[in-house]
Amino acid sequence: MELLLFNAFNGLIQGVFYALMALGLALILSLNSVINMAHGGFLVIGAYLAYTLIPYLGFWGALIVGPVLAGVIGLIVERILIRPIYKRVDPIYSLLLTFGLALIIEDMTRTIWGPQGLPLEVPDIINSPVSEVYFFITGYRLFVMGVTAAAAIGLYLLLRYTLLGIRIRAGIRDLETTAALGVNIYKLRALNFGFGCIFAGLAGVLAAGVLGLTPPMGNSLIMPSFVAIIIGGVGSLFGAVLGGLIIGLAAGVVTTYYPAASEAVIYLMMLIVLVVRPRGLFGEEGLFE
Amino acid sequence: MSVAATEEPVRTMPPAAAQAPKTPFLRMDNVSRHFGSLKAVDGVSFEMHAGEMRAVIGPNGAGKTTFFNLISGLLPPTSGQVIFEGENITEQPIVKRVAKGIIRTFQITEILPDLSVFENIRVGVETAEKLNSKPWISRSARAAVNDRVAELMKIVNLTGKANRTVGELAHGDQRVVEVAVALSGRPRLLLLDEPTAGMGDTETDHMVDLIRRLHQDQNMSILFIEHDMDIVFGIAQHITVLDQGRVLADGTPDAISNDPKVRAAYLGSIE
Amino acid sequence: MTRLISVGVMWIILILLPWWLPMIGGYTALGSKVLIYAIATMGLNLVLGFTGGLSFGQAAYFGLGAYGAGMTLKYLALSTPLAILIGTLVGGLAATILGPLVMRRRGIYFAMITIAIGQLFYFVMVRWNNVTGGEDGLAGFGRQDIHLGPAVIPISSSGDAFYYLVLLGFTVAVAIMWVILQSPLGHTWVAIRENRRRMEFLGIRVERYVWAAFAIAGFITAFAGTLNAMLFNFTSPQDLHWILSGNFVIMIILGGMRSFFGPLIGVIIFVVAQDYLSSVTGNWMTFIGMIFVCIVLLFPRGVLGIFNRRAEAI
Repeated sequence: MELLLFNAFNGLIQGVFYALMALGLALILSLNSVINMAHGGFLVIGAYLAYTLIPYLGFWGALIVGPVLAGVIGLIVERILIRPIYKRVDPIYSLLLTFGLALIIEDMTRTIWGPQGLPLEVPDIINSPVSEVYFFITGYRLFVMGVTAAAAIGLYLLLRYTLLGIRIRAGIRDLETTAALGVNIYKLRALNFGFGCIFAGLAGVLAAGVLGLTPPMGNSLIMPSFVAIIIGGVGSLFGAVLGGLIIGLAAGVVTTYYPAASEAVIYLMMLIVLVVRPRGLFGEEGLFE
Repeated sequence: MSVAATEEPVRTMPPAAAQAPKTPFLRMDNVSRHFGSLKAVDGVSFEMHAGEMRAVIGPNGAGKTTFFNLISGLLPPTSGQVIFEGENITEQPIVKRVAKGIIRTFQITEILPDLSVFENIRVGVETAEKLNSKPWISRSARAAVNDRVAELMKIVNLTGKANRTVGELAHGDQRVVEVAVALSGRPRLLLLDEPTAGMGDTETDHMVDLIRRLHQDQNMSILFIEHDMDIVFGIAQHITVLDQGRVLADGTPDAISNDPKVRAAYLGSIE
Repeated sequence: MTRLISVGVMWIILILLPWWLPMIGGYTALGSKVLIYAIATMGLNLVLGFTGGLSFGQAAYFGLGAYGAGMTLKYLALSTPLAILIGTLVGGLAATILGPLVMRRRGIYFAMITIAIGQLFYFVMVRWNNVTGGEDGLAGFGRQDIHLGPAVIPISSSGDAFYYLVLLGFTVAVAIMWVILQSPLGHTWVAIRENRRRMEFLGIRVERYVWAAFAIAGFITAFAGTLNAMLFNFTSPQDLHWILSGNFVIMIILGGMRSFFGPLIGVIIFVVAQDYLSSVTGNWMTFIGMIFVCIVLLFPRGVLGIFNRRAEAI
């Protein structure tokens, strides 16, 4: 029983990372119509920049500045590399471009910071277990959940109540009409791409506190995030978050009984969803098809 | 094989009333299609006979294209029935209607832009001959397909442009290719959605001549939507006038042009 | 006629490869690898370039073919033909069974689902380690000589002999794909790529044809996978990974996705570049990534597209 709880909790934490990743991916997928294969790269950028900045800014400063810098780099990348290919209808080009970008980022990270794993120091205040019995519930893990919840709610409020957010939602529904109404969709898409990368960066810093830093750390997180989006339903940000939590939890639970299947189970869940309910839990019919 | 030719030979059909005793070819019973509160087609009843050349006219937004979509199966009706040769096809998908010979062209040109005229029509022929799923093809079958493509290109006068890429042809020729592809399916009821839209005078004459020949030479049943009244009154034997989703009038060109309701609601506003 | 001549010249060059490639600093196994990848990418291109389905998880069927062949040799029977047959069937049937899940999707969604399905097999191979060797890969098997009556083809000891087996496989696969693309099925695929809606209006059940393309591509890629396993007498989960899938796609784009032999050109450039770069720089991944970016931004039509705009029409 305790083992189950332990694994389920671990899975849930993993699911939180998936959810953060999937949220950014889904944002970019919806408005920029780009499958951002480099999303794992932005996660790595956020994590390593935070690692580098901790000696100067402390953990708290790096937690904020790292992801923001990932977002800024995202803005630059969007401007130079992604924007020129929006006009190409075939999604294959953005897929390949971001794929190449992912390779470059991973390799450059290895060159700059080295191939070996690095630890990310987390302040003691939030790193001690909060319960004697349930030792695995550390303050840091609760903190990760809290930050993720805050970020998701923040995004929700932004999309719901700010002019920028309303424009992003309008653009997701119908980009042409939004453009016709006088909204600068280039700026809109750029900012949106930046937001997506901030979420990737945040996931990177938080994950580094649990898993440490390695150059390919983004690779193991990006595929489950795809699955989270497919299960949650393409086009639904809420679905992406929920999908991430569900598959994390499922992987954790399966670890208890049959550890070898802990990764495969999320793909099996995806297949089941595709058979039973092809548009996912909250996806809209016909979107992106 | 050639289904289109088995129609009763109603050779010299006087433009007026000669069709009365025949069984209805296409019938619609009180058909409606609503989009939310918009009644695009609202309680339309309609009858058409085999071998007939009929025009559907009406002002913009009268529901003409929706009416076509209901016949071709692109949209299911909200209520009512569509009967083709005595069979209720209301619920049937496009695929089945195409197999029955209900074939349409589109207002927006639906072509395969990067392929040649020959290749565009060949796909149509191979589909009509139900060859699509064959991963190899014998010499004789290939020759038969090519002959049929050549025959169709001859009918529509595109033989000289066989190897041109369709996307690079003039608009009028693209629409003719579209008609040729429709013909490859050996239509029994050919639905043409604004066949001359966007065409210059020469192109229009070419298309009108083609439609007229299809009707006269092959005795094909043709239903077309058209805005150009010269064409409508020039070639249609029968005219159905739609207005705000309803049938405003239905009859011979003479009857329609003298119908006071039509004159008031529609023709008056154009002339 | 010019096509016939150029194909003839190509075959002569390929037949003579074990003779001229070492003279310019290459090695025969590199030629085998190029042909194997060419089979895989030309198979994938049936979906990608000719039917217009963005399959981004094709390495899965390549890897399944490789594991199928490797495990046959290791656990079942010491027979090269049987290994090829079983590997091809395993990968091809997997694509056939999964086809219905992807055939309804388009564009981005098609890509995401094919990637994710590919990863499923990746983890199966990583985790089922007492049979597959897990992360370390499957080793401990070797390709076997082929016995034709009294004659023996010594592919187990001779890299050149194995190269000619690969060339034979390449020839057969190319012939099959060529016949299919000239058939009504091939014409229908191209028409679906050009205008899917149009084909639906013609009464075509488009999804079935996408399925057929996906399944046939699966068999051909799996066949390539079996040869790849026997080239190295080794296979690993990397042979199913999405990075390899992405490489396949970039090779196709590099050569030209609308032309029949485009993928072969792309494979030659990519494999040679990778082989060279990894021997001169530790940062070869960055260079490969930059190749991706440059192709997308500068040469989206591929090498053949640069030289010959009409190469697209087949």
